[in-house]
Amino acid sequence: MAAATIAAAQQPTTRTEDPRARGGRGSTRDFLGLGPAPDAAAAARGAKLYAPNCAFCHGEKATGGEGPDLVRSALVLHDEKGELIGPVVHNGRPEQGMPPFASLTKDQLYDLTEFLHERVELAANRGLYKALNVVTGDPKAGKAYFDAHCASCHSVDGDLAHIGSKMQPADLQQAFLYPGARGYNPGSPKITSVTVTLPSGQTLTGVVKHLDDFNVSFTDASGEYHSIALDPGVKVALEDKLEGHRRLLDQYTDAEIHNITAYLTTLK
Amino acid sequence: MKFSLFVTAALLALSLCPAQMLAPKKLLEPPTDTWPTYNGDYSGRRFSTLAEIDSHNVGRLALAWFYRISNVGPQRGVGTPTIKSTPLMVDGVLYFTIPDHVYAVDARTGEEIWHYDWVDKGGHLIGNRGVGMYGNWLYFMGPDGWFISLNAKDGTERWRKKVADEKLQYFTTMAPMVVKNHIIVGVGGDAMDVPGFLEARDPETGDLQWRWNTEPKVGEPGADTWPDKGAMEHGGGMTWMPGTYDPELNLLYWGTGNPNPVYAGQGRKGSNLWTCSIVALNPDTGKLVWYFQASPHDTHDWDNVETPVLFDAQVDGRPRKLLAQAARNGYFFVLDRTDGKDIVSKPYVALNWSRGVDAKGQPIPDDAKEPKVDGALLTIPGGGGTNWMPPSFDPQTGLFYVQAVRGYSVTYLYDTDPKPEGYGGGARGLWSEHVLEALDYKTGDVAWSHPYTTGGAAGTGPGILTTAGKLLFSGDYSGNFVAYDPATGKILWHFPMRQSLSNGPETYMLDGKQYVVAGAGDTLFVFTLL
Repeated sequence: MAAATIAAAQQPTTRTEDPRARGGRGSTRDFLGLGPAPDAAAAARGAKLYAPNCAFCHGEKATGGEGPDLVRSALVLHDEKGELIGPVVHNGRPEQGMPPFASLTKDQLYDLTEFLHERVELAANRGLYKALNVVTGDPKAGKAYFDAHCASCHSVDGDLAHIGSKMQPADLQQAFLYPGARGYNPGSPKITSVTVTLPSGQTLTGVVKHLDDFNVSFTDASGEYHSIALDPGVKVALEDKLEGHRRLLDQYTDAEIHNITAYLTTLK
Repeated sequence: MKFSLFVTAALLALSLCPAQMLAPKKLLEPPTDTWPTYNGDYSGRRFSTLAEIDSHNVGRLALAWFYRISNVGPQRGVGTPTIKSTPLMVDGVLYFTIPDHVYAVDARTGEEIWHYDWVDKGGHLIGNRGVGMYGNWLYFMGPDGWFISLNAKDGTERWRKKVADEKLQYFTTMAPMVVKNHIIVGVGGDAMDVPGFLEARDPETGDLQWRWNTEPKVGEPGADTWPDKGAMEHGGGMTWMPGTYDPELNLLYWGTGNPNPVYAGQGRKGSNLWTCSIVALNPDTGKLVWYFQASPHDTHDWDNVETPVLFDAQVDGRPRKLLAQAARNGYFFVLDRTDGKDIVSKPYVALNWSRGVDAKGQPIPDDAKEPKVDGALLTIPGGGGTNWMPPSFDPQTGLFYVQAVRGYSVTYLYDTDPKPEGYGGGARGLWSEHVLEALDYKTGDVAWSHPYTTGGAAGTGPGILTTAGKLLFSGDYSGNFVAYDPATGKILWHFPMRQSLSNGPETYMLDGKQYVVAGAGDTLFVFTLL
């Protein structure tokens, strides 16, 4: 599961930084092999040095301007704690038009270095990415959609009361589109109830533990474990509480989704 | 007479390949008593002519032995080791890998013969597809951009060559591919907007023979598909899966990965050649002969590296040299592999990111479904319709088999800067389901499909093997290794491995018996008839 959540492009799934889903297998930065994490306090101090001293050439975000992009710089990426960056800043590169910054102290060079490492971190470590503003829709139109399509199962005073203060908008948007998908559980996690009909006509019901093409296992109301081979004549019915959500996925326009999100976020 | 013939043959064999464990010409034959390369042969069909195990006796298929990796703990950032490699089987020895590790195991018993342990200094441990073999030498990629040659007899290292810089977020996972006297190696890496390339290296020294760059340079053909030099030099297009090869045409076929920044396309307007493409290269020079771009201006992380499968078959009553690919973007493509001209372009799963195809058969992306700050709903999973897991083409059924995923996702733009960097966005998963699909190569129509009852963890995907015994071997997502009737999808046999198939299954003859091998998580399972 962790591989699924922190996977790079070579995995058939999406990414989240949900610590529960990581299964103790390490963070995205471990996975990416990014090396030591930047020193946040030093980086904050370094930002104040970078702005007046460096930004006019290397750009506000260090992604380049008149001078080179420092986030994609091989020298910056090879640096661990200033051993490569420090001398370049101190001495400058006069032949390439970069002046020396000889007055910066050793501590200041370290802070500047950590600021650059943090810029790299923010680009490279996708585990830290955050959604921007997803609340762009029309809450009134969202309410109208909700009343027409959702209100038969959900209530803004009942199960969804204060939902707008309980969830971040991007999580809320994902959750109403398909609940349980946050953290990515491809097994349709809310499908839990199974009814098995035996060739004799006897039926058994329980909370499903495992189901494949060959066997079903479940725990019944009394807590007893059942395992039944799916021989010819055995029928299995799963209760899919999310069928309505799934059906709507084929119907939404993006504008409707944004309107619903805008409406749900008003439910503080 | 009999005796002298035998002696002549033996002498001939000796003189042609003195003490060679795997003569390169063996790679030109259909694999029967070996599995000498990642896909078994150059075609990438993963179809075996072996038929000792067939649809009638497959019920007697039973476990011969298993080998569990027990000398490696959880791996950095990925946890329990997972076998994604397809083992080579040469002279009764199986050679397989996980990231940082190569194993030689006795194919008769599962006894470990040697184990090579690489200490990495970075790179992603997401997977390793296996080794390449040339004569007595093995070729292996360390995750941190090292190309390593080992002596197959004892696993000792001959030499190592640096091919990519892990500090720039390159990583290396592919099984080096042997074509004549070239060892072809590709690279991965998409976190820091580095350019992709493919290299041929010398089998004896590891030195560079040629390098093909995924992106053109300023002024070269294709440069007009990028807005500027900077975008082109940081354009991605990784080459992380083994390709295929047609010895008659002397063309090497390779899939290229997505452009960078991955989800944020505003700084790289244009079709971004030759990312997300199938390219045909001359294996002796590395020169581009033709290309077909599967995802012009991709903004969804849909590497087009899925195996370009080669076969000859009839189209409209004429024999044709074909190349077929079930692409990660959800399209099934069939091309004429002599010139790259499109024959079939058809979605094999639902998708809404494209507004159809252009005159060349290349999909036209819909701007409205590019990643958006507030989210764009896709009717295909964020990871695409399939991934690297090996597909198969069965010439007996004329069907192409793929492990597909149907589902929905929302894609977001996280970096709105005119010059974004890194991924710049992401996808969130909604409902999805795995399904084994059989596609008609003539039309792309789904001949049959088998949805899996439950999803299970989707971190890895099962590959597919078809055989002349009228069998299709693959795995479900619930830990079973399964044999299907390739004509109908009917289940004929299964074995509960308790870990899901994580590599491409293979088969070979050894001591007069046919074996089938499956890798599932940290364990290699080997089956034969009881």
